[in-house]
Amino acid sequence: MIPLGDILLYSTLVVSAIALIGLLLKDFKNIDQFDKLIIPSIILGAGLLTASYILLAYYFVTGDYSFDYVWQYSSIDLPLVYKISGTWAGQPGTYLLWVLVVYLSAAWLAWTTKHSTALSRRTQIITLLTGIYLIILTLVQTPFRLIIERPEVAELISSGELTAGFVPADGNGLNALLVNFWMTVHPPLMFIGYATMTIPFAAAIVYLFTKEDGWEELGRQWTRFTWLFLGMGIAVGGVWAYLVLGWGGFWAWDPVETASFIPWLTLTGFMHAAALHRKDKSTFSIAAPVLAAVSFILVLYAAIVVRSGLFNSVHAFGDTNTGTLLIIFIGIITFVSIVLGMRRYLEEPDKVEEDRGFWNKTNVFYVTLLLFVVLAFISFWGISFPAFIQLTQGLKVGVASDTKNFFNLWSYPFTIILLLALGFCLSYNEKNKEEQKKTLFIVMGLSIIAMFLRTENFYVLDHSSPFWVREPPIYKIIGNISVISLFPSLIYATWATAQRLKDFLKIKSIRPRIKGIGIAIVHFGVVFIIFGAVISSNFTQSIEAGSIPLSSIGEKVNIGNGYDIKLINFSTRSLSEGVPAAGIRISDINANPSKFINNNVKVSGRVAEVENVQTPPSFTTYMKLDDASGASLWVATQADSPLDVRTGMDITVDGFMMTEFWSNSTQKTYPLIIFTGPEGINGAAPVSGKYKVQSIQLEVYKDNSRIGSGTAEYLDSQTGSGTFPLVDSSITGTDVYVIFQGLSGGSAPLTLKIIPAVNFAWIGVVFFALGIILIMAMRSKS
Amino acid sequence: MRTKKLVSILVLVLILGFAYFSYTTALTNFTLSDQNNSYLGGIKFHRAAAGLEEGVEIAKIENKPIMMYFWAIWCQYCARFQTDTLGNPKVKKILEEDYVLVAMDLDIDREVAQQYGVSYPPYLVFMDPNRNVLDRVPGAVEPDYLLPIVTKVKETVRGK
Repeated sequence: MIPLGDILLYSTLVVSAIALIGLLLKDFKNIDQFDKLIIPSIILGAGLLTASYILLAYYFVTGDYSFDYVWQYSSIDLPLVYKISGTWAGQPGTYLLWVLVVYLSAAWLAWTTKHSTALSRRTQIITLLTGIYLIILTLVQTPFRLIIERPEVAELISSGELTAGFVPADGNGLNALLVNFWMTVHPPLMFIGYATMTIPFAAAIVYLFTKEDGWEELGRQWTRFTWLFLGMGIAVGGVWAYLVLGWGGFWAWDPVETASFIPWLTLTGFMHAAALHRKDKSTFSIAAPVLAAVSFILVLYAAIVVRSGLFNSVHAFGDTNTGTLLIIFIGIITFVSIVLGMRRYLEEPDKVEEDRGFWNKTNVFYVTLLLFVVLAFISFWGISFPAFIQLTQGLKVGVASDTKNFFNLWSYPFTIILLLALGFCLSYNEKNKEEQKKTLFIVMGLSIIAMFLRTENFYVLDHSSPFWVREPPIYKIIGNISVISLFPSLIYATWATAQRLKDFLKIKSIRPRIKGIGIAIVHFGVVFIIFGAVISSNFTQSIEAGSIPLSSIGEKVNIGNGYDIKLINFSTRSLSEGVPAAGIRISDINANPSKFINNNVKVSGRVAEVENVQTPPSFTTYMKLDDASGASLWVATQADSPLDVRTGMDITVDGFMMTEFWSNSTQKTYPLIIFTGPEGINGAAPVSGKYKVQSIQLEVYKDNSRIGSGTAEYLDSQTGSGTFPLVDSSITGTDVYVIFQGLSGGSAPLTLKIIPAVNFAWIGVVFFALGIILIMAMRSKS
Repeated sequence: MRTKKLVSILVLVLILGFAYFSYTTALTNFTLSDQNNSYLGGIKFHRAAAGLEEGVEIAKIENKPIMMYFWAIWCQYCARFQTDTLGNPKVKKILEEDYVLVAMDLDIDREVAQQYGVSYPPYLVFMDPNRNVLDRVPGAVEPDYLLPIVTKVKETVRGK
């Protein structure tokens, strides 16, 4: 039988096909009999997908472990929020979320435009094609696969060790690192961002194909929305990585985070191109749509990076067969985009215009676009070619002695040029051009001079570190550039943005004024982020505090460099309280045993008695299980060695129920007894301890004045452990960061880090969000 | 139009140059050869699941504790952990003399990692010759922190 969730997905395919055929007939044959069906079908499709997502969430919340995906990413003792966020913990669920948002966008497009123009119809066709492809992807790796279809389970069933209706008593549980608030926001932000990119892309393809006007306007809000969600998704991922040890701080150039950063860069480029294109249709008439298409292709590429298993990353999703399907998809779209782009390029008449020299707004904007492309390419190349070499030559290579060297050193000079371009563009004024050019050249000169200024720490990369060994000379030369060189361009960019803001504030009508403020805020955000990122990664001070014994609680312990740590309290807790019983209540079975006898049942309870008897060649363990109400029944299991079960344990048993069973070995009759193998008993380790948290409360002192306090935590579970440092921010932007790696022998191993300026980066992120929301809210109605 | 074209071509050439240069540099300078343990701080390890079996046999015969080191090529903390902590002379001496060392590449030896509940590198698991886990050290700890553990585990297995 096909699971209900899959039926919903197949139904969506059918209704999308109806809508697609209707649209195609209308567009090519001008047949409009189906017109009335199109919009309802699309909305129905979105509804069906919403239903399937809710269904999946329902399975997670109720803990229906007959579904493989639910079993894999959830367990009984997880708090409710993590059961819900489990829906996007693995790939099948994220595909479903992705395709759901694509369909919601399609429904929105249908509803708002009513398909009244050829452009909207054609955009809808491309959107639907994308949606259909993604549904097929979702179906290939459906989240609704039953656990009995899992190869290892199927094998056990065919060998008779498990019954055909096997349902695990408890889920595998979420990886300890994913039991985290950020898990509830980061993936949805990312995938909503991925999905909403579809409409700007579709509109751009239509434009490349038919030169339909208005494409930029149609996709404009979607572009901003994508930029916001993708950007926030990346930023939230950064915050998360910052708060978890072992992920290399807020930005580690991990292939997956880099892969989502690349489309964000090209998307930013596209928005700049679109800003000029909307004023003069002939400006960037190819660059703008091509950048939109490229951004979408790179979104798909990011999905491949996550899923192919070729890229080594902390996002260990593992290999899958959908990788190939994605590669085919990417191939088709890239091919179409290149062909269409080339065709438009060759068709485009060579504009004959008077030579305005190099220094005009369009040209500087063009340089800006190129810079975004170059930065995107550096990231793209840095994550891609090692995978390519591994694939073609079977060799593992690194991009530099330390991965981040490569990205930092190549991106740094272009970031400075980008800041210079930002400064020039925002202070640009046709009348004062000569003066602005002079300012730009002065700042450029200062930047170049500053590259040679030396203090102890001011390098782009510390080439004396052990990470910096086999780099060729050119890497070392760039690596030797002083970070002071950042400041002239940074100040210039700030000044120019402030100038621009002043101009915007003078605008009389309110909407353009607020929109201008939004633009200025976003650009201030750039300055803040770059400052925070560069300064914090160059000037972090790390002090190994060693192991501080718990017996010293309440006393200051000197850890060197003038720092003291005072432990305040230590505590442990379990993430969830109590264990909700899985399966049927024992009291229910006792009330009506005939319904369960000679059937498979699953019960949970606390072990009240244990009796191990030798039944050569194996051992049989008889256990009496109590539930909370005091009702009890017996469980028997045979194994090669005595089962390690003790009274007081909470276990879940899945097995076959018999009645009035006489045992020779114990000389007893059991009125109700469940037979099962050792694999039918779950939680032989106390279930309530699945996610244990050790917290240590402490205060940090510098020269006897308190600079930070809070709680550092260490989470331990069967599925791995996680370290959540104490992070205490101060107004100056410096973070006190204490890492606690779990109690060992009565002492707490602690590491103290003093991280400056990192909060500027977070403020910049907030500026990004605030600015773009203002811009979106003030959309010009045309 | 001319300037735009020129700039585009210049950028394209630069990009291609950069791509070619970084590609060849990576191949010549940064090939992570797994066989000679160069990536593992120059310490000899038994490798992978088969190496673990081999290691357990040796440990039984020589009555030595086993240290399993979970690492990954992309793990930036591991690089420093290998040179500074495992490579620390005092730590290294004990490890090389009194331990059977096994290294697990998290990307390849996923099953072993799962079996021992290891989800991120670097991660050390200490065992006696009968594979009973004696201690675990997650994360890139400093040598001062590792040294007492290494000593304690050694004494537990080998006696003082």
